[in-house]
Amino acid sequence: MGVLEIKQLYKRFGHHEVLKGLDMDVPEHSIFGFVGQNGAGKTTTMKIILGLLKPDSGSVTVCGEKATYGGSKTNRNIGFLPDVPEFYGYMTPMEYLKLCGEITGLTKSKIKSKSEELLELVGLKGEKKKISGFSRGMKQRLGIAQALLNEPKLLICDEPTSALDPVGRKEILDILLAAKGKTTIVFSTHILSDVEKICDRIAILHGGKLALCGTLSEIKERRRHNGFVLEFENEKDASSFENAEELKQPSIGLSRNENTVTVLLPDHDMDGHLLLSVLSQKRIVPLKFEVMEPTLESLFMEVVQ
Amino acid sequence: MNGYLAFLKKEIFEYVKTYKLLIMLMVFTVFGITNPLIAKLLPEILESLINDKGIISLPEPTAYDAWTQFFKNATQIGLIVMVILFSGVLSSELSKGTLINLLTKGLSRTAVILSKYTCMVLVWTKSIALCFVLTYGYTVYLFPKDETSNLLFSVFCLWLFGLFLLSALLFSAALTKSNYGCMLITGIVVVACMIMNIISSVHKYNPISLATDNMGLIMNSIEVSSLYSAIMISCLLSLIFVSLSVVIFQKKPL
Amino acid sequence: MDWVMLKEYLPFLIPLVIAQFTLSITALIHVLRHPNYRFGNKVMWVLVVMFIQFIGPALYFALGRGEE
Repeated sequence: MGVLEIKQLYKRFGHHEVLKGLDMDVPEHSIFGFVGQNGAGKTTTMKIILGLLKPDSGSVTVCGEKATYGGSKTNRNIGFLPDVPEFYGYMTPMEYLKLCGEITGLTKSKIKSKSEELLELVGLKGEKKKISGFSRGMKQRLGIAQALLNEPKLLICDEPTSALDPVGRKEILDILLAAKGKTTIVFSTHILSDVEKICDRIAILHGGKLALCGTLSEIKERRRHNGFVLEFENEKDASSFENAEELKQPSIGLSRNENTVTVLLPDHDMDGHLLLSVLSQKRIVPLKFEVMEPTLESLFMEVVQ
Repeated sequence: MNGYLAFLKKEIFEYVKTYKLLIMLMVFTVFGITNPLIAKLLPEILESLINDKGIISLPEPTAYDAWTQFFKNATQIGLIVMVILFSGVLSSELSKGTLINLLTKGLSRTAVILSKYTCMVLVWTKSIALCFVLTYGYTVYLFPKDETSNLLFSVFCLWLFGLFLLSALLFSAALTKSNYGCMLITGIVVVACMIMNIISSVHKYNPISLATDNMGLIMNSIEVSSLYSAIMISCLLSLIFVSLSVVIFQKKPL
Repeated sequence: MDWVMLKEYLPFLIPLVIAQFTLSITALIHVLRHPNYRFGNKVMWVLVVMFIQFIGPALYFALGRGEE
């Protein structure tokens, strides 16, 4: 059973249907990258999970408990980091964490030790300044600290890195990686390099549904055999290969750039053997014969188009 | 319960840190001191202004004048200051999104509304009590011989009207997005009460009687028992407003 | 006002003066330590807070105080 299960979620705003039957399952102890274009419905989905928005239909289950709109019972298992976390500017980080701790019902000593531990983790230890004087990145880090305070089984981060500079981004990603052992993390983003760095599972949200879902290696594996890059010694070999009769099929994509030919095969039954046989038939030895690694970016573009 | 107490603490902390408590207490302190003073000095000032003609001599000021000042200032300026100060009670948190963090921590929305109401009531109680004590002390000092009746009951009525007003304010805040909308709806509630007061048979049940009949009570021209219905209605309406706020806020998308 | 009258009103004046001073000084410290306002500038708010009794500081805290 997953920590978070979403079944047939529908939500429309006016005439705009954002979610059209979203199904999602997040297994325990994973870092789950929730990818989609701006406006694809990532934030909407998260708000429904947290009971801040009402879905038109469908169900959300957190740790086996059904989440309800306006209620907050399931939220005790969740830590949430909004895209731009807002705090009470007149408080210090310690005071804010104390408030959060009291709300979740932790004991005084527990709050103190936990706050210190978390502020250490996010690099805000000994910060006596009021939150109103904080930079964007500091607020984001405090946001993670408050989200982890109640030792949630599920940590939800809404675009935690989008608004930050490269240094701040790396800090946040490192903190999330450090939190991985303790909790399950769902984090939405449109920055694919972040996903590649830390996620072990991804889901691409497109057209109100999950267009792609699975572990990163699984997804890449599934599409691995389709593309090949061949580099030849000279232009003659390249063009002779490019014009081979066997490759003159409409379903095969061919493109040449000087001495390099890229071949895209349509499905899994056709594999590299076809190309090898063409090569041996023409008695050409390529300089390089390479299976194209699908990048997350190419996958994403493919799905979104 | 955890959430209620923790959030109440935060609310009080906020009023202290944002100087709202200070402003309320200062406004009511100044009223408390100046009420009897103005009552005492007003005839003298007026006389010195029209002294040239030397015809009119105004009656000696009494404790009643001090209490007239008290109820006039407290209801007119004091309550308005309070509504303005508290008008952002929900909108400031909603527009900034500061509540989202806490709600996702398992704080219930009911607790938010109830602790906000409690805190406003506490601030109002403190302010009116301070103002009352100061006015009482100085009135006794300036007009030691004058006797008043039903003084505590009369102030209690005003206090209760404050509670009613705050519940209307909270209801308006839950209904609207901005603090101006909140002020507007609260204003409409008060004006509606005033208009209804024109019908004399309604007066007996109208919450606003609690803020208009105070002098009558002190001068014994109005029976204490005549306000019982208005007290009942005010309590009932306050309860309804607060419950409605909870229900509306529960369904508010954030 | 002669001396006798002043003496009579001293119990009023002292608390009022104390209240005014506390308010003014609290506001003044805040103005000087948080030099960003919703509108106006430092000199203006210093003058308002110091020289308009009661209303000046109240105006500052209610309207002029910027986000810290």
